[in-house]
Amino acid sequence: MRSRTPLPLWILAGFGAVFVSLPLVALLMRAPWDDIAGSLSGAGASEALRLSVVVSLTATALSLLLGVPLAWILARSRIPGRSVLRAIVVLPIVLPPVVGGIGLLFALGRGGVVGQWLYSMLGLQLTFTTWGAILATTFVSMPLVVLATEAGLRSIDRRYEQAASALGASPRYSIRRVVLPMLGPQLAAGAVLAWARALGEFGATITFAGNLAGRTQTLPLAVYETRLTDPGGAIFLSLILVVLSIAVLVAMRDRITRAR
Amino acid sequence: MHRVVWLATALVLLTGCGGTGDDTSELTVFAASSLSAAFTHEIGPAFEAEHEGTTVVFNFAASDALAGQIQSEGTADVFASASGTWMDAVQDDPGVSDRQDFVQNRLVIITPPENPAGIGSIEDLANEGVQLVLAAEGVPVGDYSREALANAGIAKEAEANIVTNEEDNASVVAKIASGEGDTGIVYESDISAAADNEVVAVEIPDHVNVIATYPIAVVTGAPNADLASEFVAFVTGPDGQATLEEYGFMPAT
Repeated sequence: MRSRTPLPLWILAGFGAVFVSLPLVALLMRAPWDDIAGSLSGAGASEALRLSVVVSLTATALSLLLGVPLAWILARSRIPGRSVLRAIVVLPIVLPPVVGGIGLLFALGRGGVVGQWLYSMLGLQLTFTTWGAILATTFVSMPLVVLATEAGLRSIDRRYEQAASALGASPRYSIRRVVLPMLGPQLAAGAVLAWARALGEFGATITFAGNLAGRTQTLPLAVYETRLTDPGGAIFLSLILVVLSIAVLVAMRDRITRAR
Repeated sequence: MHRVVWLATALVLLTGCGGTGDDTSELTVFAASSLSAAFTHEIGPAFEAEHEGTTVVFNFAASDALAGQIQSEGTADVFASASGTWMDAVQDDPGVSDRQDFVQNRLVIITPPENPAGIGSIEDLANEGVQLVLAAEGVPVGDYSREALANAGIAKEAEANIVTNEEDNASVVAKIASGEGDTGIVYESDISAAADNEVVAVEIPDHVNVIATYPIAVVTGAPNADLASEFVAFVTGPDGQATLEEYGFMPAT
C-alpha cells in the first residue's frame, strides 16, 4: 500500500477483478477433470475447435479487407452523411447479435431481399453453411476493426504524407510505405479485438447460419448444445475457448497498449 | 476524481441495500416456452383477477434450462415442464409437491406456405435434399421429434437431412416461417395459438406420433407455497383446461 492510490479505488478494483474472474474459477472447479479425455471426445471438441478457428480467422480477414477501407473513408473523406454512415457501420457493436442475425436472414436468407435472388439465379444458399457462419461473424466483428483503424488514422500527423508526396511519392506508395507502417499497432489491435469477438460469436451465427456440427457449430454453439446432454463436455469446450482467448490477448497486450 | 470514486462507492452501497423488498404477493412461475402464449395472455391475468393484489411473474424457457435455474437459484414457486424428465430432475432436487400432469401436446410437421420440398407425410422427410430443421437433442421437442422419426422407420435418412439443430420450438417455427428450411417438427400448440405464423401443418399419424405430457408442480421451498398450490389448482381446473385447449393443447388423460 505504498502507492498513493486512494483506498476506494482499491476496493472497487478488487470487486471488479473478483467479479470477472469468479466465473472462470467456478468453471475450473466444476470441470470433471478425471474424465477429461472422454468428455472432450464425446462433445466433438476437435470438430468445433477446427470450425471455430476457420470461421474466426476468415471473419477477421474479411473484417480487415472491408473494415480498413471503410475506416479510411470515415477518417479522410468529406462525403456527406459521414457521421450517419459511421453510426450505421459501428452499430453491430451495440446491437444484440440476434437482431443482427434476423436482419441477415431477411437480407441474405433464401427468402431474403438479396438472398432470394442469389438462390434463384445462382443456386447459392448461405443459411446453414459455413460461409453463412463466417458472414454472421464478420457482421459483428468488423466494427471493431473500423473503430481502431479510424482512431489510428486520425492520430497520424498528415505532414508525413505531405512530405512523402512532396518528395515525389505516389498516393499508393505513401499509403504503403508511410501510413500503413505507422498504423500497424492500431491495425493489430483492431484485428485482435475483432478476432476475439469472432471467436465468442453466438447469437448472429445461430440465428442466421443455424447449428450443425461440422458445418456451422462453432465452439460457443457447441457449448450451448452440449450443456444439455453433456454438461462436463460443455465445461471443457468452454475452457478451450478461455485458454485460446487468454493466450492471444496476453500475447497481444503490449501491442494494444502501445497503440494508445 | 475523488468525487467520482466516492459517488460510485455510494451507489454500490445504496443498490446493495435496496433490492429485497416485501414480495409476498408475487408468484413466480417457471414454465416451458410452449406455454407462453396461453399463460401470459389468459391464465396469468385470470388468476390475478381471482386473487386481488397478486402479481404472477412468468419465466419462460426450454424446460431443461428452467430445471437448471430452479436447482441453482431456487426462486420458483411453480414449475410447469414440457416433459416428465425435467420435472423428475426438479423432484429429486430440490423437490416438488402437488405434482400433476395437466396437458398433452402432439407433434406436427410444418412447412412454409409454398411447401418447396413437397412434404405430404412424415415419410417425405427422408427424401433426398430436404432441408430439415429440428430442435437440438436434449430439448424436449427435439428428442420427441427424433423418436417420431424412429417410429416411422426413417431415423437415419431423415437425420442426414438435418440442416440445423435449433435451441427451442420458436426458433424452429421461425426458420420455417422465413422459408430458410423446407420443413420442421414442433408441437401443435406452437402453431395453433401463435396465430400469425406463416406455416402450414402436415399431420403425423397417431401410431408414430409422440405425445408429450406436461407436468406442473409446486417447487419445494417456494417463497409463496400457498399461492403456488392455488395456481396449480387453477391450471388443472376447468377454466385453465378450457383455455389450454384453445391454445392447441389436449387434456392430460
